[in-house]
Amino acid sequence: MESLILNGTFDLWDFICDVYFGSKSWFYVITGVLYMAGLWKMFEKSGLKGWWALIPCAREYQLSRCAGREPEGRMLSVFTFIGILTATFGMAPYAALTGTGMTKEVAGTLVLVISFTLGIVAIIYNIRIATGLIEVYGVKKRWMVLWILMDAIPAMVWGFNPKYQPAWKVEDIKAELEKLAHQGSADVMDEGLTVNLRDRTVTEFFQKKVLLRDIHMAIPQGHMVLLLGGSGAGKTTYLNAINGYEPAKAEVLLNGTNMYKQYKKMQYEVGFVPQSEMMRGKDTVYYTLLDAAKLRLPQDVSAAQRKARVDEVMEIFGLTPVKNNLVEKLSGGQKKRLSISMEFISNPSLFILDEPDSGLDGVMARELFVQLRKIADTGKIVIVITHTPDRVIDLFDDVIVLAKDSARTGRLAFYGSIEDARKFFGRDRMEQIVKSVNRVEEGGDGLADEFVMKYAEAQKVGGAA
Amino acid sequence: MSDKSIVKSRRRFRARHRGRGAQVWIYLGKLLRMFVYQNDWKVLPMAALIAGLVGMVIRKKMFLNMEGTIMGSFALVCVAIWNGCFNSIQVICRERDVIKREHRSGMHISSYIFSHMLYQFLLCLMQTGVTMYVTKLTGVRYPAEGLFTPWLIVDLGISMLLITYASDMLSLWVSTLAHTTTTAMTIMPFVLIFQLVFSGGMLTLPAWTEPLTHFTISNPGLKVIAAQADTNNRPFVTISNMVDKMKDNEVGGTVTVGQVLDLLADKDNPTVAEIRAMEIGKVFTVGEIREMLEKSETFQQLKAEHVLDDMDVGDIIDAILEEDALKPLREYSIPKLNITVGEAIALLQGVDGVKDVADTKITRQTTVGDVLDMVDAAGIMEKYKDVELGGVTTVGEAVDWLAGLDDVQARRDKSFTFKTTLGRLIDLVGEKNVRSFLEEKAAAASYKADYEMRWDNIVEYWLHLLAFILAFGLLSTITLEFIDKDKR
Repeated sequence: MESLILNGTFDLWDFICDVYFGSKSWFYVITGVLYMAGLWKMFEKSGLKGWWALIPCAREYQLSRCAGREPEGRMLSVFTFIGILTATFGMAPYAALTGTGMTKEVAGTLVLVISFTLGIVAIIYNIRIATGLIEVYGVKKRWMVLWILMDAIPAMVWGFNPKYQPAWKVEDIKAELEKLAHQGSADVMDEGLTVNLRDRTVTEFFQKKVLLRDIHMAIPQGHMVLLLGGSGAGKTTYLNAINGYEPAKAEVLLNGTNMYKQYKKMQYEVGFVPQSEMMRGKDTVYYTLLDAAKLRLPQDVSAAQRKARVDEVMEIFGLTPVKNNLVEKLSGGQKKRLSISMEFISNPSLFILDEPDSGLDGVMARELFVQLRKIADTGKIVIVITHTPDRVIDLFDDVIVLAKDSARTGRLAFYGSIEDARKFFGRDRMEQIVKSVNRVEEGGDGLADEFVMKYAEAQKVGGAA
Repeated sequence: MSDKSIVKSRRRFRARHRGRGAQVWIYLGKLLRMFVYQNDWKVLPMAALIAGLVGMVIRKKMFLNMEGTIMGSFALVCVAIWNGCFNSIQVICRERDVIKREHRSGMHISSYIFSHMLYQFLLCLMQTGVTMYVTKLTGVRYPAEGLFTPWLIVDLGISMLLITYASDMLSLWVSTLAHTTTTAMTIMPFVLIFQLVFSGGMLTLPAWTEPLTHFTISNPGLKVIAAQADTNNRPFVTISNMVDKMKDNEVGGTVTVGQVLDLLADKDNPTVAEIRAMEIGKVFTVGEIREMLEKSETFQQLKAEHVLDDMDVGDIIDAILEEDALKPLREYSIPKLNITVGEAIALLQGVDGVKDVADTKITRQTTVGDVLDMVDAAGIMEKYKDVELGGVTTVGEAVDWLAGLDDVQARRDKSFTFKTTLGRLIDLVGEKNVRSFLEEKAAAASYKADYEMRWDNIVEYWLHLLAFILAFGLLSTITLEFIDKDKR
């Protein structure tokens, strides 16, 4: 690929050939046209506009959406764009900016090196996208070889042959959003947590994605709440939204104070214990807690009070015997307890724990949840995510069930007491409830939409919760 | 939830929490504890090992000649960049999750980064101290006086510290960009290669890459070390060393006398001009000449030779003063006395002793020795034994005098073949002269204004490095502020 502008002459046909087909050779032109025609039909089959196939950079991304490989598509689009820029301008902008006498030979060599490097990366990402397409079209892996050697052939076959249909279509999120109306709202509580979340969206590569929608609830003080949901249902996103760390379009009030508007002050009222032990292994237990106290406790707390609080928390969580040990030398259970005590040191009103029992055996997990129950009994709200809820379900007051609907958006399928949940879902065990809302391809019953609608209806008539 | 006691939590959120300044000390304390627990201390023995290895390589060249000094400066810069880069390349990315957690608990990113900057400064300071000490131990001879302090090693230490610290900050930034240690360690070689290739000192770079050198720490780093080491005033020995190695190479060919004379007369040739300007000759007293003549076998043989025709001493004197063939001898200027031989003889004619012997007959049996005795040469020489004859002249003057002789001119087309070694040719001019000439000329040709040992040069490079430190510190803070792009 040569730099068109740097060569001094700009030929439109050369430019089109470079951008669309990579070469002026008739063979490349013909196969390029066939490829675009095949893509046009493939896009239509996946519910996208066919003309995307004509736009370089964009077509790579759209193809990755068809394949369910959007991150790869984004990268490939960027690399393609850089490739086109390099091919068009070469190193001329650099030479002009720096005023250096870069020769055409040097610029040509650099363009070749960059193109070659990008070419290698593009091949890798192409293979990843092709892997996704093979899964989507349910064809044999040997198609991969054909795709790499001459992508026009599989594109034409998958695009024009009605025998090949994609397993699923790319959803138009905007249209979906418009279809669904926001439903209900929870009454604001003076003491407790009130969540009225309309939606939580992210924009990735100019594409808006809805991660969570319509979640409304009011959790009273002193409740220990179980948060259930299959993988990708948005549990962690939801927790980050309610503690204000990743704000959503929502109103979240803790004891009557808006979490979002007064985030700087309220962040000390929330204790968030992450799934993995995010602590420095080379520090001692005592100093880890002392530093946590310095960060989390108000400035006017004296050094003596701070040390007394550290000693008290170590006593509560049984860490006193190992206070001088390095964190990395602790057992799994001790690490969990230390992680929780780091948040507990500031005595927060809302306590959120993301899978605190992961890696713990049944006995240790039970002991941990008993301790959490004790914390809730001191008037705090404790929200816990766990994948093994049934062994400790007797310790919980309420359950939140999040489910991924057909638009792949996290929705509230239920919020209420444990007993009500059993009745609502018609299942005794919490793990069965999760299975019922999981998608079929994930091994679930695929009833998410059904329960989401049922819960929404129940909310309207003032039922379930 | 029937009989569970519910304790109302206090509303403490109006309380003030620790600000940025106070948080810096929390994290600095943590990092200092980790220095012991987390094996950060290992960077010190590592620095000593690296400095030892490099010191052993550069000790015999650094500060002794230009090439050795540049090479040594580059090696020291590499040590500093290496130390700095590996100090902090993993410090942020390895605890990215912890930072995220603490950030949501109220940690300020700026405090966190600043505490790292302080901690890394202490680390770099210790490493630089170790590096300078170990290189001195291995035998690098640091010149005594620096520009800013009474010890050059301290001046160099300041530069080394700035280079190490700037590299450290660069790595800190890379560590904030990379999300995992694997990614950071993958980026690292590219950073190092970029620094080394575009230092602008060791490799000759094409003009278009010149702007890139402004973005490397190694560029001002190399300049400042080279300037402090006074590189420009060191001899450039590569060429003379090469000539030294070629001493045994045979050279030779056929040349004419004219070619040799023309070559030696070429005043525009700087090498010839240098040779021509060399002083030769020695001042002798008459007494010394007499002594030399008496010891000379040739002179003793000459004394025994018979004079051909009968004549008296006056005839000989007249012949010298009048014969055309003896004109060159007559016109030869006696150095220092500023008179010609002719004029000297004319003067001698007035001397009493000489007048008396003018009529003395010289027969065929008379020898040259007799003639000398007749004129009482021994007596005259004894009389004027302390008079100085000859004088210091230059090679050029000697060559020009020789070239002016008719006899020599008549032999211009005579050719002769010679075969010798380069070493012998060098010996003709003097090995020391050739060596110092080549070293001075090569050093002058390799002069670089950037390496000039001036305080303004050095301060400029220090400021350049300081700018890098601040820029990378700031970039690290900005980058880490995006640790969670959705954060408030």
